[in-house]
Amino acid sequence: MPASAQIYVAPLAELPAGERRLISAGDTSIGVFNTGARIVAVLNLCPHAFAPVCLGKVGGTTLPSNAGEFIWGREGEILRCPWHGWEFDLNSGQCLTDRRRLKQFPVVIRDDAIYIEI
Amino acid sequence: MPKPKMIIDTDLHPAPIHEQVAEYLDEPWRSRYLRGDHGAGHPNLYNPNGVMKSDAVTEDGRRIERSPETMASHFLDVYGIDFAVMNPMESMEHCVSPDAHYSAAALTAVNTHFVEDWLPVDERYLASVMVAFSNIELAVQEIHRLGAHPRVCQVLLVSGSPFPLGHSYFHPIYEAAVEYDLPVAIHPGLEGVGIAGSGGTAGFVANYLEWHTLLATSYMTQLVSLVVEGVFQKFPTLQYIFVEGGVAWLPAIMWRLDKNWKALRSTTPWLTRKPSAIIQDHIKLTTQPIEEPDDINHFRQVLAMFDAEKMLMFSSDYPHWDGDTPDFALRQLDPGLRDAVMYRNALEVFGIGVGQHAG
Repeated sequence: MPASAQIYVAPLAELPAGERRLISAGDTSIGVFNTGARIVAVLNLCPHAFAPVCLGKVGGTTLPSNAGEFIWGREGEILRCPWHGWEFDLNSGQCLTDRRRLKQFPVVIRDDAIYIEI
Repeated sequence: MPKPKMIIDTDLHPAPIHEQVAEYLDEPWRSRYLRGDHGAGHPNLYNPNGVMKSDAVTEDGRRIERSPETMASHFLDVYGIDFAVMNPMESMEHCVSPDAHYSAAALTAVNTHFVEDWLPVDERYLASVMVAFSNIELAVQEIHRLGAHPRVCQVLLVSGSPFPLGHSYFHPIYEAAVEYDLPVAIHPGLEGVGIAGSGGTAGFVANYLEWHTLLATSYMTQLVSLVVEGVFQKFPTLQYIFVEGGVAWLPAIMWRLDKNWKALRSTTPWLTRKPSAIIQDHIKLTTQPIEEPDDINHFRQVLAMFDAEKMLMFSSDYPHWDGDTPDFALRQLDPGLRDAVMYRNALEVFGIGVGQHAG
């Protein structure tokens, strides 16, 4: 497969906010998520223990706060790995608690359809 | 990375099939079991991940751990595991129940269930004989009932206990275990439940993060108690397996104990050699949840501070939320340790292939 090949994912209308789709490109599994603010694509492989991270729950999380204070936020942006519970920021791929990050793929919206570049 | 010649998982968590367990119970216990009384409960601390891996389900949506067939096909086969020690879920809660009669009856039925309904399904399974703390006579009876079974590989206790496990109250369990050449294993998770001590030796903690981290303190307590109270002088062939209690704390406790022993030996005159030497001869530790410092070499240095080549055994904890797969554990270890940890120590401690046990 040539570098930066575009892979068709779905019509934009079929991936509403909060939804995800798993696609395969050869042996590579990729999760495509609509966070509500944007469409993101990440490799379906947790950088920690190589779990299928894209099967995890997407939701919000507790934001940094003072002791004893709980502030909920970032709804739709946080992917929690189904194996060990590590939280990842879908926007950046960055783990919230470790230096490792999810591998991201560029997303292209063209003619009301979603494509990713790999 | 070359695969080890064998993989032995020393901490697999099958779930009992409750209807089958009930078949081994008489009334009044049978109805009680079927109504869902599976022991003393849980610590009631919140884990946002759930305690069970959410993806441990079959293609048609059944939990993998609830059947001997799917546990074999969806876990043992997938990871190439040669033997797996079953530490049953929804059962260890009986070990810390204050209700001696029901907990002993329920554990007898659960033990029978795994021997009769799981072992015959796949030769890779090894069973535990679980016993409760609340009545030592009944615990000893159960060890005698199953101890000679060729595929019962250990006596299973939990690490949360009413008082530390070196106390003479528990010695009849050890006496029975060594009679059948069985190691004794302790497993965490009931700290702060039933008649077990708190999940932190300074008292009860507030949340799951604290509780789960401090499970290691149960093991420190049990280790020091077992050694100092002379359990291994009294039972010189006893092997004790610390399952899921952490690894990296061990050198620090050994050093502290040795130092104190040098000044206080006269209070425990049966300790005729350094406590750390006793520990290295009698204690095994399982790997999961393996510690993961930012620099992997720091963990490897810790493993060089005690006889990890003799003491450490691989465990997956499958299907619990914090489990380690064999390939993940393998990557944390120096190549020179891999065979010992992935199978060699377990072959020896469980007597697999050399004695009456499976092989």
